[in-house]
Amino acid sequence: MSKRLFSSGSPRLLVALVLLVGSSINTFAANLKLEAKLIWGTNEDKSPNLEHNQVDAATKEKLCKVFKWKNYFVVNRVTKPVPSRGSNHFKLSDECTIEIKELEGPKVEVKLIGKGKEVHKTTLTISKGQSVVYSGDDKNQSAWFVIITELEEK
Amino acid sequence: MNWEQQLELQAWIDGELSARDARRVAVFAESNADARLLVDELRMAKAFISSNETEVTVPETREFYWSQVQSRIERAESVSETSSVLSWPFVWRRLVSPLSGLALVAFLAVVSFNTFRGPAIDDSARFMVEVENLSDDVGSISYRSQSENMFVVYLYKKDQDADSDAQTEPVDDSFFQ
Repeated sequence: MSKRLFSSGSPRLLVALVLLVGSSINTFAANLKLEAKLIWGTNEDKSPNLEHNQVDAATKEKLCKVFKWKNYFVVNRVTKPVPSRGSNHFKLSDECTIEIKELEGPKVEVKLIGKGKEVHKTTLTISKGQSVVYSGDDKNQSAWFVIITELEEK
Repeated sequence: MNWEQQLELQAWIDGELSARDARRVAVFAESNADARLLVDELRMAKAFISSNETEVTVPETREFYWSQVQSRIERAESVSETSSVLSWPFVWRRLVSPLSGLALVAFLAVVSFNTFRGPAIDDSARFMVEVENLSDDVGSISYRSQSENMFVVYLYKKDQDADSDAQTEPVDDSFFQ
């Protein structure tokens, strides 16, 4: 009499578990890969800081459609992952930090911290292609921007 | 005559007693009338059974017949040993059946949750934004640009009018330092 090592229920269980794990990926949020950029907007043609480069053409086009400044320079750029149900800090300057927390939903909580003090909090759903922009006026009729975008996983 | 005495009489007739006990029971059977009657009946029954027992003849030889019996016993013992060695697959099978059912139910629950979540609910949740000013000195204006897929939060100092030309009053001019 021959005996099978695995019963007929084993493949059924395996298939069910694989499908369960696969379908759970959408239900439970995955890690986010986010980019935060500190940008200076001005009507000047050049930045006084030679290390500041112009933003890419696509970003400039988007910003020009929403804001009134002619030129936008990248002051700093930080790319970090935000783990599922976790948070991460994006330090953009000595005084400006962004804390991003991944929440159920999936949503993100974006907290702007200036000079060590929490200034503002936004909770929203972020998706690829969407930007969350913090902005404020700066000296000499210029402005600062913090642009947060979700990057494609590579 | 009690039950034990009756059993002793039966054992005596079947020749199962020691010589000493057989002598004792023989004396008892001679001296007791009931015992004598019982002994007579038992002897008669024994003689009847032994003389009328059906004799079964086996077509094989004696050696061949018993060798078959022996091989069957050995085969049965090996099967029982095999089944005890492979007992864990049976335990596995007993566990797998309910677990597979449970996994399928969980899978269907997750799929139905993902499938039947209304798109309207998804969309409204997607566009829902909570904003909170955490500083007493700073106010905010937020708006969404659908065309540029951009959510903007504009921060300003509260002691100035957000609608006025506030560029001379930066909310924080040290962000770039």
